[in-house]
Amino acid sequence: MGYFKDILVGGWSLVKGLEVTIKRIYRPVVTLQYPRHRIEMSPSYRGHIELKRFPDTGTHYCVACGTCMRVCPSQVIKLQGEKDKALDAKRVVHYYIDFSHCSLCGLCVESCPMQTLTFSKEYELADESRWDGVIDLVRYFEESAR
Amino acid sequence: MEHILSNELGRLIVGLIVVLIFSQLNALFLVWLERKVAGHIQLRIGPKEVGPYGLLQTIVDGLKLVGKELITPKRADRILFIIAPVLVFVPVLVPFIVLPFSKSLPLNDMNVGLLVIFSFSTINVLAILIGGWGSNNKYALLGAIRSVAQNIAYEIPLLLSVLSVVLMTKTLQMSKIVQAQGSYWFFLIQPIAALTYFICATAETNRAPFDIPEAESELVAGFHTEFSGMRFGLFFLAEYTNVFVVCAVATTLFLGGWQGPFGFSLGIPGIIWFLAKTYLLVFVIMWFRWTFPRLRFDQLISFSWKVLIPLALANLIITAGVIKLI
Repeated sequence: MGYFKDILVGGWSLVKGLEVTIKRIYRPVVTLQYPRHRIEMSPSYRGHIELKRFPDTGTHYCVACGTCMRVCPSQVIKLQGEKDKALDAKRVVHYYIDFSHCSLCGLCVESCPMQTLTFSKEYELADESRWDGVIDLVRYFEESAR
Repeated sequence: MEHILSNELGRLIVGLIVVLIFSQLNALFLVWLERKVAGHIQLRIGPKEVGPYGLLQTIVDGLKLVGKELITPKRADRILFIIAPVLVFVPVLVPFIVLPFSKSLPLNDMNVGLLVIFSFSTINVLAILIGGWGSNNKYALLGAIRSVAQNIAYEIPLLLSVLSVVLMTKTLQMSKIVQAQGSYWFFLIQPIAALTYFICATAETNRAPFDIPEAESELVAGFHTEFSGMRFGLFFLAEYTNVFVVCAVATTLFLGGWQGPFGFSLGIPGIIWFLAKTYLLVFVIMWFRWTFPRLRFDQLISFSWKVLIPLALANLIITAGVIKLI
């Protein structure tokens, strides 16, 4: 009797398998047509860091204190500031990161006293040279304003 | 045109041209359908770039194959290597002569139609053996050997299941088999034969779960490993034409051929009924492929000898007994 039972049970399992796949045909596809359609990145996604824009002033608060530069374990941050006479405060002029060496630990974001650093949602970072990983955050900030 | 079609030779020549064109178009369509079905079962899209819904994708692929160099491996058996793709493609065209697309459409409604189909579809295995042997490649040879061994596994239950239909209709002529199903289709009274036939047909076309001779994960590409360009294309064409043929035969034997269900044609012409049923079965074969994993070789043999052959044989004996009683 085990013979017929095997045939029936085996046949039934095959039918169940067919049921699983036919249901898939009517499900919406999950493929994203990437260059044409993009998805919103998740809030917890970490791209390279960027200067945060505050809505009350429309600019960042970076005073080039250098805390991020000193705290960075990979030492990928270099920045330079100069005194802005009109504001009577130090402002950042150049802010370079070498993203190719960045480990995305987030210490710079956490340690920033002005809380003006954040992770960007940038993900199309493929490039031809390793020097293309060097990003000027000030210029990036100005370009993102446009 | 009238007098050409009434002439037997003219009818054959016109038919041959139509069959050649149809088999190409059919293969192009089926490859596209296969990729679409596979895509959607795996929640992907499938081809979509070339033409509407990617319909022209296979034409572009075919053009690429035509443009490729034909490489003959060193120390291959040149003659066998060259004739194998031809030998695999030509026999799958022959069944089209007797396939009853509609009441008036079989090119030649000979009284041994079924026999013609099954004798020519067996040549397929010979061609695969020749191709695998001739290409001087261990994977190709292994694939060819597996194909021959597999042939033994499915050919017997295939013919046994067909035989029970032949016993009922007492004829091998395709049109008479269809006409015998005027009021009800044979799969209603011969479900076991229909199922056995369909399983064996999947095995005959070397498709998953019985794609043991090809077995990408084990044998590179099996018997057609060494074939490039349009030689490979012919193997591909033959496979898809073969799928169509076995499904068309299944339609003729078990699904009432060109007739509608229970004798109602619903005003739809016979050829539409026939093609609709055939392509439905083709879809089911594709559905199988993207559902079931490949059988191991001994599993196929034991499945065939322990399940298919006893079932088909018992079915045949019971059919014969019932016919004798009636």
